[in-house]
Amino acid sequence: MSIIRRRDLLKACGVGFVGYSMSGWLPAFANAIAQDPKRKRHCILLWMTGGPAQTDTWDMKPGHANGGQFKEIETAAAGLRFSEHLPKLAKLADQLAVIRSLSTKEGDHGRGTYLMRTGHQPGGPISFPCIGSTLSKALGSADAELPNYVSIAPYEAFNRAAFGPGFLGPRSAPLTVAATNFFQQPQPQQQQPAYAELGVDDLRNPGVDRAQEDARLALWQSLQDGFLKKHKSASPVAHNTVYQRAVRMMRSDAAKAFDLAEEKGDVRERYGKGRFGQGCLMARRLVERGVPFVEVSLGSAGGGAFAWDTHAQNFPTVKSLSEELDAGWSALMSDLKDRGLLEATTILWMGEFGRTPKINGNAGRDHFPAAWSAVLAGGGIKGGQAFGKTSEDGEKVEEGKVDVGDVLATLCRALGVDPETKNISEIGRPIAIAEGAPIEAILA
Amino acid sequence: MFALQVPRLRLGLAIAAVVVAGCMFFGAPTSAAPPSEQEMAARIDALLAARWKQEGVTPAASASDAEFLRRASLDLTGTIPTVNEVREFLADTSADKHRKLIDSLLKKPTHATHFSNVWRNALLPVDANQVFFGGDNGFRSWLRSQFSQNVPYDKIVTDVLVARGQGGQVGPALFYTALQLKPEELAASTSKIFLGVQIQCAQCHNHPFDHWKQDDFWGYAAFFGQLAQPQGNQQFAAMVTDADTGDVKLPESEVVVKPKFLAGEASEDGVLTRRMRLALWMTSRDNAFFSRAAVNRVWAMLFGRGIVEPVDDLGGKNAPSHPEVLDELSKYFADTGFDLNRLIRTLAATKAYQLSSASDGENRPELFARMAIKSLTADQMYDCLQDAMRRRELSAYTGQPGQQFAGGFDQLRQQFLARFNAPGQGTTEFHSGIPQALMLMNGQVIVQATNLQQSDLLGALDAPFFSDDDRLEILFLSTLSRFPTDDERPGATAHLENASNKRQALSDVLWALLNSAEFALNH
Repeated sequence: MSIIRRRDLLKACGVGFVGYSMSGWLPAFANAIAQDPKRKRHCILLWMTGGPAQTDTWDMKPGHANGGQFKEIETAAAGLRFSEHLPKLAKLADQLAVIRSLSTKEGDHGRGTYLMRTGHQPGGPISFPCIGSTLSKALGSADAELPNYVSIAPYEAFNRAAFGPGFLGPRSAPLTVAATNFFQQPQPQQQQPAYAELGVDDLRNPGVDRAQEDARLALWQSLQDGFLKKHKSASPVAHNTVYQRAVRMMRSDAAKAFDLAEEKGDVRERYGKGRFGQGCLMARRLVERGVPFVEVSLGSAGGGAFAWDTHAQNFPTVKSLSEELDAGWSALMSDLKDRGLLEATTILWMGEFGRTPKINGNAGRDHFPAAWSAVLAGGGIKGGQAFGKTSEDGEKVEEGKVDVGDVLATLCRALGVDPETKNISEIGRPIAIAEGAPIEAILA
Repeated sequence: MFALQVPRLRLGLAIAAVVVAGCMFFGAPTSAAPPSEQEMAARIDALLAARWKQEGVTPAASASDAEFLRRASLDLTGTIPTVNEVREFLADTSADKHRKLIDSLLKKPTHATHFSNVWRNALLPVDANQVFFGGDNGFRSWLRSQFSQNVPYDKIVTDVLVARGQGGQVGPALFYTALQLKPEELAASTSKIFLGVQIQCAQCHNHPFDHWKQDDFWGYAAFFGQLAQPQGNQQFAAMVTDADTGDVKLPESEVVVKPKFLAGEASEDGVLTRRMRLALWMTSRDNAFFSRAAVNRVWAMLFGRGIVEPVDDLGGKNAPSHPEVLDELSKYFADTGFDLNRLIRTLAATKAYQLSSASDGENRPELFARMAIKSLTADQMYDCLQDAMRRRELSAYTGQPGQQFAGGFDQLRQQFLARFNAPGQGTTEFHSGIPQALMLMNGQVIVQATNLQQSDLLGALDAPFFSDDDRLEILFLSTLSRFPTDDERPGATAHLENASNKRQALSDVLWALLNSAEFALNH
């Protein structure tokens, strides 16, 4: 049983922010909070495929041999310093809380991806859902017009299960936009488009025009009607409902949320022309329309399938990825702030692991889960600070060591979701959304 | 090391032979011969009918022949019949054609393939096909060979329990490595799957409302306490083999727990390994749990829900809907030497299995007064799509002995399964959501199926000697396994006749059929 501390009770019963929903306690009250439309919350996961180098981004080691080529710069938050290639985010640093003391145990892409995205090591009897599936289920409503979980530009082949709903079932799976599959040949582009093109996967069949689609749907409808008339049980009705909603997505205004052509050129420019920048712009449009969970991947295409995986030539690659990251993320946060949405939106930045502080013979950095960084920002987060500390050489955590469960539990709390919320797994065992201790110091 | 290992291995094999002989002894009918399949099926029908009468429920009418053929094909072979199979079955006027159909379906290579998929999903975590486990092809190949020879169920379970070898190899060892060789996980999993008993709640503490105590759990887990444990992070590539020593302890204590059978006595260490002793006890005809759990599971495969629900929790709390059916079928299954195919033939011969699934809304599924509507599994859905468009040969397992599944290397299939798998969820629910519907309407699989150049089916239909009516019939037969109704013909025929591009019009009808609820459900 979770222990409810007096402070939490006071918070929950008092005025202002409520960071902890109490499962099983004061149910009527908790329910009233959940139903308050003003409390609609959103989560954006910025997923860094391949494992980004903490020493060249958020936890610089200037003056040490491990420090590398990049300089440190001041940020808007006194004492907090980032890489010189994150200048726009530095201006927004009062919104960012850097966790510099993350320490995990998986240094393989597939296993690390599963660990960070589900909070659990792979293997064993349970197929754990990814955090996007659990949080979108907790935050979303089952009959919303747009899907509750949208995943933009994911690279799923490292570990498909890490991008899936696990025991929550296909209905909690993400709608994917421009997913990259390992075995899919990249489409040769006739001419380079001005902006990366992002479309919802399988939203239409390119060989079928509107008139043919109409004809197909009319034939389909009459088959459906005939079968449903005779079989009025739950699963045929559910099949029909799901298809009606999918068709509405294909054809209605709701799908316009994904149409970036509606945005002005200077806006699209500001986010960056690549898949990540345009993905951040799409994330903003989706959050504006009430989608509770959006993730945008960086490093999954363009500069190679997993660009953050900088075993060689680390510095030019991290520089260009940082520039993409800086433009997209800062534009996203500024726009959300302008719209009054940032305080209801929590952003988590992370990859599957960090990279070795020691630079290898190919001017690269290798896999390193022992001491690395993640970043939380926006709603529910006390920004402008770094939590935890690594040693001077970056090789180990010296203060505030946290694990993946702690990071995910912190994210839950920032979103107003009880991390102890249980879902029933396929073997009947109840599983909490996140198992760990929230990092109180970075919670607002 | 080696000098010690070899004699021990030989001893192990010798004992394995003793175990098998022992099972045959236990499995041999000791009481009167079991009733015939027809007698047993009639007995089940009588018990179900008595209950309907008692509840004032009128059972549904019988399903049509076409519905029965599609249902039995999906249940026993995981896929839909071919156009010719439908035509032949509908034209057959013999009185025993239903029985003959079941016999022939059980002999098809696709039967063993389908059952290996179903049991793989029951036995292994869904993620166990991952590269770091070595994939699940070796496990499925082994299961397939068991079902293709109708190996008795007690023998299959014995082989799982005493499995040795490497997880990725052909054989049942992946069952152990996928659970990381952990005694507590193996205890929870084997008791649930093979005995229908959920003892895992007693793992951490005595449960106040449950029958099982912590000692029961750890006493049972102790049978898996002498597996050689891999070093470090290597459990996925580990060899499964028995060690000479090893003990399990109560959590956070030094209290060693000795092996003890569930609801039984302690088992002293001796010449047989702990796992062998567990296998002997578990698969014994005297073990009431074993046969009941299997019968309930096979019943649920055909009828959409178990006589006890959930299907793997028969321990007291959940009352059977038909206690006598469960009792008598369990005895029957044991008396027939745990003959799986005979059990299936018997259940499929009941009138209950032949009832229509048509429903006007009110429903009491536990009475089995109408057939439940089952969602296709991810495997079934993929295979049905492939078969409907006659592409199965590209990915199919041909059933030659020793041949491995190609499935694991079929990337389109893997992608499809990753989107559609619904681990541990009931078959009478519809699981898919918007992304799956979009994939079926517009995704690669369906685009290929309805592509004018790529589709073999559409190509064949182009032949000049077909009328539009012929073409329509073939499309319906190859997808819904029935002829179009009089209501359906005019609209679809008009679409074909008015089309400027005939092939495209045919692809439209095919698309609508493949996306219909009738195609996506087993009814």
